[in-house]
Amino acid sequence: MAYISELEASLRPPAMDMPPYPPKVITLASGEEMVVRQVERDEVPILLEVLYPLLWVERDFYDIVAARLFGELLAYKRYRVKDEYVLAGLIDGVLAGMVNGRLMDAKTGMSYHTLTVRRGLRVGSHLFAAKMEYHIEHCKQEEVLIVAESPIGFRRWMIEYPLEKRFEVQHELGGVPSWVLLKETYYNAKPRLVAGRRPAPEDLLRGAETIMLPDEETVVRQVVGEKEGRE
Amino acid sequence: MSDKVYGAKCTSCGTVNYPARAVCRNCRSETFEPIEVGGEGKLLTYTDVYALAIDYETRYLRLAIVELDNGIRVTGQLLDDDPKLGKRVRSTIGVVRKPGEVSIMGLQFVPA
Amino acid sequence: MKPVYIAGAGMTKFGRSEWSLMELASNASLAALRHAGLGKIPVDSVVVANMGAARVNRQTALGSALVDQLALYPAMAEAVENGPASGASAFKVGCQAIASGMADVVLVTGVERMRVVNGLEGTDFVASLSQPEVEYIYGVTLPSLAGMFARLFMDRFGVERRHLAMIAIKNHENATKNPYAHIQLAVTMEGILTAPEAVVNNPPIATPLHMFDCCPVSDGAASIVLVSEEVVGKLGGPKVRVAGIGQATDTHAVHEREDPTDLKAVRIASEKAFSMAGLTPQDVDVAELHDAFTILEIAESEAAGFFGRGEAHKAIERGETKLDGKLPINPSGGLKAKGHPVGATGVAQLVELAWQLRGDADERQVKNAKIAYACNFGGFGNNVVATVLRREEK
Repeated sequence: MAYISELEASLRPPAMDMPPYPPKVITLASGEEMVVRQVERDEVPILLEVLYPLLWVERDFYDIVAARLFGELLAYKRYRVKDEYVLAGLIDGVLAGMVNGRLMDAKTGMSYHTLTVRRGLRVGSHLFAAKMEYHIEHCKQEEVLIVAESPIGFRRWMIEYPLEKRFEVQHELGGVPSWVLLKETYYNAKPRLVAGRRPAPEDLLRGAETIMLPDEETVVRQVVGEKEGRE
Repeated sequence: MSDKVYGAKCTSCGTVNYPARAVCRNCRSETFEPIEVGGEGKLLTYTDVYALAIDYETRYLRLAIVELDNGIRVTGQLLDDDPKLGKRVRSTIGVVRKPGEVSIMGLQFVPA
Repeated sequence: MKPVYIAGAGMTKFGRSEWSLMELASNASLAALRHAGLGKIPVDSVVVANMGAARVNRQTALGSALVDQLALYPAMAEAVENGPASGASAFKVGCQAIASGMADVVLVTGVERMRVVNGLEGTDFVASLSQPEVEYIYGVTLPSLAGMFARLFMDRFGVERRHLAMIAIKNHENATKNPYAHIQLAVTMEGILTAPEAVVNNPPIATPLHMFDCCPVSDGAASIVLVSEEVVGKLGGPKVRVAGIGQATDTHAVHEREDPTDLKAVRIASEKAFSMAGLTPQDVDVAELHDAFTILEIAESEAAGFFGRGEAHKAIERGETKLDGKLPINPSGGLKAKGHPVGATGVAQLVELAWQLRGDADERQVKNAKIAYACNFGGFGNNVVATVLRREEK
C-alpha cells in the first residue's frame, strides 16, 4: 500500500468493509455480451473522459447526471466520499454505461446515478438492477434510498419495482424527498428485473480488463438526435 | 356520477348500438332509447398493458373485451388474477380513469 | 380517370431529430423535388399528411405552412389527417387531383415530430384515435388494442411468440441496410426471446406483445412528387405508375368488429386496389406492410391476399418474406425498425417502393421488382388505404 501522510489520512473518511462485486455477463437483445464489473479507482479517468462531452447535452438530463457523476467519480478516486462504489457495463471492452452509489451504513444504501452511452439495449435497466443487487444481495443491506432526475428514471424505477415513498428522508442528491427499495420488493422483482450469468467466462473477463472509450460522436448522436436526409 | 353504463337501443329494430351513434348500424333509423349495458358474459380476449397513457400510475392495467350473454360486446378493465380465454365473468361499475380530480365510472369485470 | 405517376421520392432519416416540424417537411420535400427534376414545371398542389402537430407541436394549417417554406405560392394546399393512415390518405388525395385533371403536379409530404413530448403524452395522443366513450376512458392505448388482437389471433391460428420474433429480427436486419432507418441494430432470437436475460431485454408492453414487437416513436418526413401523363413524358427516368388505390372503413370500437381476428378493412381496401390495377396479390414482387406491431405484419399479409388465413406464420418460418425470399415484406425495415413518424409513414412506404421499382434501393434492392403493394393501417384497422404501384416499361 502506498504511503499516505497523516494529514491525508485525516481527510479520508473511514472505510467500511465492502465486498467486491462479482462480475457477471448479460446477453443483450443484439446478441452482444455485456460484462458488468466493478470499477477501480485508477480507471476513473477513462470514465471522466466519456462524461466530458455529455456535460453540455441537455437532452434527457444528461448534463446534470454527467456533471454530478463527474464529481462523484472524482470523490471516489480521491477518497473523499465514504464507502462509494462504481459499476460499469462493457461490451467488447467498450463502456456501455455506468452506475454508482454508496453505503450509508450497514443497513441502508444510497443510490446515486445511472448513465448509459449505448442506447436501445436496456443497458440502464440492467445496470440499475446490478447496483440494487450489489446493495441487497452482496452487501446484505435492508434497503436502498433512491431518487430520479429524469422522467425516464422515474417510470423505470418508482413504478416498475415498485419503490415506496420515504419522503421524510432527504436524499443526498439535492436534498429531495427519497424513495426506497426494500429488500422484500427486490427479491419479488428479481425474476423479471435482474439478469445475468455467473461466473463470467474467462475470455469475456479478459476482454473487459481495460475500459475502452466509445466513439464520442456516436454517443452524442444517440442522445441528441439526427440532422440528416438524402434523396 | 352515474353508476350505470348505457348503450343506445334502436326503437325500430331493437339493435343495441354500443357505442351510441347517430344512426343505427343495422337499420339506419335515428331514434334510440337508453339501455343499461352489463351483466354476465365470457372473456373474449385480454391484455396486460404496460404502455400506459397519462392519468395512470400503476405498473400495468388489465383490459379485456367481453362478450355479454345478450350478444353485446364491451371493452372494460379486468379484475381477475387468473384470466383465461372464454372464462365466465360478470360486470361491476367502478372508477376506471381519474383525470385530475374527476372520477370516470365504467365497466369492470370480475370472475362470475 | 387520368393516369398518375410518381416522378420523385425522398425522405429524412427517421429517429430523433433536431430539425423542427417544418424543417423536416421541407427537407423531405426538397429531396423529392430534386429527385423529380421538374425544372421549370410548377407544382400545382401541396398535400401534407400529419396526425398530431396541432397537439404536440401546437401548429396547424400545415399545407399552407409548407407552401410558404418552399415558396410554392400560389399552389393549392391542405393537410390531411387519417391517424396512422394520414400518409396514404394524403397520397390518395394527391392522386385524385391528377386523375381528375385538376392538377398536373402534386407534392405529397408526410411529417411527424412526436418526440417533443414524453412517452406518456405521446401514448395518450395516439390513444385519442380510440372510441372516446367505450374505449379511451378505460385506459385503452393503441398497444392495448394490438395486445388483445394478438392474443386472440395467436390462439386461433397457432401463431407463437417466436413467429413474432422472426418478424422483428427480419425487419431489424433489413433496416441495417437502410441509412434512413431509425433503429440500426440487428437483434437475435436469443437476445429477445430465448435467453433468460430476454425477460429484461424484451419486457412486456401489452401482453402477449413485448418491446421488440412494437415500433418506436420517431420523428421524420417523407415526400413524393406525383405527376400527370403529360408531365412524366417530359421527364427522364423510369415510369412508376400508381396502378391502384383502395380504401375501406370498419367499426370504430374494436369490440364491434364482426370477427375480431379479421382485418376486414384491409381485405376490402386491397381488393379494391388490385381491382383498379387489374392485378392480383400473386403479381406482387415486393410489399410494405404496416407493422406498428409485429402481429399486424402477419395479419395484414393474410387479409391482403398474400397468404391464406392462418398460413402467414408458416411462410415466415420458411423465410419467404425475407429480402431474398419469394415475397419480400418490409425491405425498408418496416415500421418496426425504420420507424413510425405517424403522418410520414404511409408516404415513406411508397417512397421505399418507388425506389425499389426504380432500382434505387441499394443493398435492399429486390431483384426485378415491377409490381409493389403497400398497406397503411389507420385507427386500429378501421380505416385502411392500400396502394398498388407498377413500373411501366417505356
